[in-house]
Amino acid sequence: MSDSRFEFVGEISEDLESVRPSLTYWADAWRRLKKNKLSMMGIAIIIFTILFGVVGPFLTPYSYSDQINDFRNTPPRLELYAAGDTYLYLTNDYILLEVSENGNIQRRLERIEKDIFNKIYVYEMDGEAVTVDFSYNTLPTKQGYDYDFTIEYMGQVENQPAFTKWNKSFPFGSDGLGRDLLTRVMYGARISLFVAFVATLVNLFIGVIYGSIAGFEGGRVDNIMMRIVDIINSIPLVLYVILLMVWFRNNGLWNIIIALSSVYWVSMARLVRGQMLALKEQEFVLAAITLGVPKRKIIFRHLIPNAMGPIIVAMAMMIPSAVFTEAFLSFIGLGVSAPMASWGVLANNALSGLTTYPYQLFFPALAIAFTMLAFNFLGDGLRDALDPRLRKG
Amino acid sequence: MNSYITKRLVSAVITLLLIATLTFVMMHSIPGGPFTRERPVPDEILRTLNEKYHLDDPLPKQYFDYMKGLITFDLGPSYSKIGTTVNELIAGGFPDSARVGGLASILIIVMGIPLGIISALKQNKTIDYFVMFMATLGVTVPSFVIATVIIYIFAGQLGWLPSFGLSSPLGYIGPVLALAGYSISFVTRLTRSSMLEVLRQDYIRTARANGIPEFWVIAKHAVKNALIPVVTYLGPMVAAILTGSFVVERIFAIGGMGRYFVESVSNRDYTTIMGMTVFYAAFYIIMVLLVDLAYGLIDPRIRLGKEE
Amino acid sequence: MSRLLEVNNLKTSFYTHLGEVQAVRGVTFSMDKGDILGIVGESGSGKSVTALSIMKLIDHPGRIKEGEILFEGEDLTARTEKKMSELRGSEISMIFQDPMTSLNPVYTIKNQMVEVIRRHNKVSKKEAANRAMEMLSLVGIPEPERRIKSFPHEFSGGMRQRAMIATALSCSPKLLIADEPTTALDVTIQAQILDLMKKLTKEIDTSIILITHDLGVIAEICNKMVVMYGGMMMEKGTTDQIFHKPSHPYTVGLLKSVPRMDCAKERLIPIPGSPPDLLAPPKGCPFSTRCPHAMQICLEEAPPVFQVEENHTSACWLLHEDAPGMEGYHKGCDIVG
Ligand SMILES: Nc1ncnc2c1ncn2[C@@H]1O[C@H](COP(=O)(O)OP(=O)(O)OP(=O)(O)O)[C@@H](O)[C@H]1O
Ligand code: SF4
Ligand SMILES: [Mg+2]
Repeated sequence: MSDSRFEFVGEISEDLESVRPSLTYWADAWRRLKKNKLSMMGIAIIIFTILFGVVGPFLTPYSYSDQINDFRNTPPRLELYAAGDTYLYLTNDYILLEVSENGNIQRRLERIEKDIFNKIYVYEMDGEAVTVDFSYNTLPTKQGYDYDFTIEYMGQVENQPAFTKWNKSFPFGSDGLGRDLLTRVMYGARISLFVAFVATLVNLFIGVIYGSIAGFEGGRVDNIMMRIVDIINSIPLVLYVILLMVWFRNNGLWNIIIALSSVYWVSMARLVRGQMLALKEQEFVLAAITLGVPKRKIIFRHLIPNAMGPIIVAMAMMIPSAVFTEAFLSFIGLGVSAPMASWGVLANNALSGLTTYPYQLFFPALAIAFTMLAFNFLGDGLRDALDPRLRKG
Repeated sequence: MNSYITKRLVSAVITLLLIATLTFVMMHSIPGGPFTRERPVPDEILRTLNEKYHLDDPLPKQYFDYMKGLITFDLGPSYSKIGTTVNELIAGGFPDSARVGGLASILIIVMGIPLGIISALKQNKTIDYFVMFMATLGVTVPSFVIATVIIYIFAGQLGWLPSFGLSSPLGYIGPVLALAGYSISFVTRLTRSSMLEVLRQDYIRTARANGIPEFWVIAKHAVKNALIPVVTYLGPMVAAILTGSFVVERIFAIGGMGRYFVESVSNRDYTTIMGMTVFYAAFYIIMVLLVDLAYGLIDPRIRLGKEE
Repeated sequence: MSRLLEVNNLKTSFYTHLGEVQAVRGVTFSMDKGDILGIVGESGSGKSVTALSIMKLIDHPGRIKEGEILFEGEDLTARTEKKMSELRGSEISMIFQDPMTSLNPVYTIKNQMVEVIRRHNKVSKKEAANRAMEMLSLVGIPEPERRIKSFPHEFSGGMRQRAMIATALSCSPKLLIADEPTTALDVTIQAQILDLMKKLTKEIDTSIILITHDLGVIAEICNKMVVMYGGMMMEKGTTDQIFHKPSHPYTVGLLKSVPRMDCAKERLIPIPGSPPDLLAPPKGCPFSTRCPHAMQICLEEAPPVFQVEENHTSACWLLHEDAPGMEGYHKGCDIVG
């Protein structure tokens, strides 16, 4: 064995230890958040939804209130029947539409004859008659067919669709007034998200101020302020929101925001107060107090920034619940008034025609669910990234 | 213990009075009074109506009459359903609402808790992922969507369930599922995370180190502790069911309180709104009180009435 | 004296998403009936993992990777979980560091003690309760008839640890593993608890493995000791041997860091630096980054185990015959492992 190996190496520097730079709290949180795939997906969906709502409406040829009555209730998938060298689509309320081969709705065909007894409607296209016989499986003499109607045009009788095409004119379909659902869902995103964001910001503002005053003052002030919060909290908050909406008498956008903003701050206030109570005891705050720094300054300069982590997590959770509550209000008839529509209003409107036009519910419901999911993922990730208990590691 | 209950009861009554007052003030400060509609009502009729419902009395008198009514459980007449009292509306709607809500509560507990426990015990296994996926869906999809999907698929397409009413036992399935969906998911998630937390605790290791068989470590030592945060959710669960009923009863056309309440909101039927709000508040406060008392049974640390 | 426990080349790892954490990397020691064995080492050195491995209580994602644990000649690593749980609490018991969290808060002391006693003995509830009260009074809890009905939160920390000891000893185990049983308690209580453990185990003829940071405690009650660092065993021997003739720089450092009783004011001299990363342990001696005498070879190759005297071994290259020779280190020892 060579002896050189038994020579002292002296002090070994411990560079290894400091390889990882000490990150600031926020940089560290961001680094953790970036690692969380679901959260990043959530952020992506949220950004997409915002763009969808803000930019989207400029890209569609319709506005949220444009009505094309002739093209009402067209679904996103069209079963097209061949008629000469063009195609026809029959809606559930017996409107016959001429559709191009790639799915663009061209025009409505005039109905010129209506035989209710034999269940035969005759429409007119370019001077020729189009006869729709939907007596199959309805008249007692015509039972047991595997199709419900036939379309006859210039002697050519079709009982099966030539093919099924995506609706190019209305990608999400159109509603009962012939409005483009895609545009409406985009506008719905605007309204739902706007309501949620603004209400959350107002809640944040009130909650942070209320909570920090209660927590910082402590004693009697804290006691009284928290009793008030307890009382507000002692019945389901939705009831207050409903009462407020009733009180406002009309369902303006701002009324909804005010109603949502006026009660949900209580949970934020509680959270902030708890944070304040804990932070207040810390040395840097005690030092600031003894130095005579004004209270307001202590609260805004020292306390709130330090409590920001949990506040942000709570905020991320508040936004989806505001979307939810807004949808709920719309659903019981307290949503924004027509022709504006949030996702909740759209879903509510779709309800009556659900069995015939399920797609009208599908898209707004999907939008709500996706947004909820995205914010939930983001909130979970933020909690993991910002929770001081899990830090250091 | 007794003084704790007394204290809670007193504060419940005070809260209720405050809420009743607030509701009264709000409903009476609506500009134009309760009978104003989009289309103006003829003065003559308005005057008769005001007289009939004592709306021309001075406000303090109305307030005391209302409070007197409350204390004697008399919530007054309905403004929009002529000839019906709010009491009758509540009495008519409560049983159906309570049945559906009660069944939903049971379902939430018997499904949510076991699913959460299984998910925690099988953490990161397929079944855990599946349960968590469903639970995540459950808290992100609004109850009206769940309800309409149930109607569309099970009542419409498949025809297995009636699409409205409670006349057959099958009729309960849809509303109960729609009402329970969110809370089942919530309880599942809560139980799972609480269970995972508990399984890391020192006393679980102690139980294992003392040779307690794994089954009992879970069933006796872990579960009871894991349920503590779940019990605190029971209060909010009651709230979720109450407000959920507004939606679900409307979709399934159930003649319950929730539906009457929503109708009274759209009809601006102020006495009914007031009466039902106070009733809901009272019901909720009582339920939460009961939950808090039950809490003491499971967590001995608060049994002495020490408030945390 | 007969062999009670023999741990041979125990290796335990945790398979985390960051990689394999090699918490214990080859620990070998043995103890006879009646021994009180101390395990010292700084935080993270693998003491608890060693103890939990003996109990086979390593939780997912951990696993005993290699090695034997012979308890009265039987290899525990081969035991099924069911047979293992029969042994826990009856033959080998364990108490933990934090009495505040080690008892289940939602059950009474009685409930928890009776459960353990009835798990391992065929007795009625009543007999079990009597036995529990007997144990409580043995550990010095006054009015056991009344106190046994308490919930853990109604006990002070010292009382809870007494209750833990009472439970652990209630089935007269042959071995008691105490993982820092007094760290969480204040000083006066610490001494009482240690005295109690010593007294009781003598009475019911139980051997002890005592895990601690406190060399003073070891000097006082242990007859054998093991020094661990970075998941490995640095030195082992009788307490006298190690205190009088420490043969490993880490042990020497530890002994230096103990404040001397006679001049209480003297500053504790900590060993500079921090313990190795167990995810990627250094390939040589784990202590090499902090060792004042590190040599080139220490960085390259893990030291073998040298026999210093009978029952006294040390894993340090300074004991190799080619080593430069340092005062206090007996170079040219036999390699035994
Ligand atoms: N469940 C686990 N998952 C991953 N690593 C673990 C786990 N448990 C322990 N370890 C690692 O094993 C190493 C040894 O831990 P152990 O608890 O045995 O140390 P210790 O010597 O008992 O320290 P202390 O004096 O602080 O109790 C530590 O570095 C720890 O990070
Ligand atoms: S082997 Fe080398 S580094 Fe390790 S303790 Fe001995 S001298 Fe120090
Ligand atoms: Mg330890």
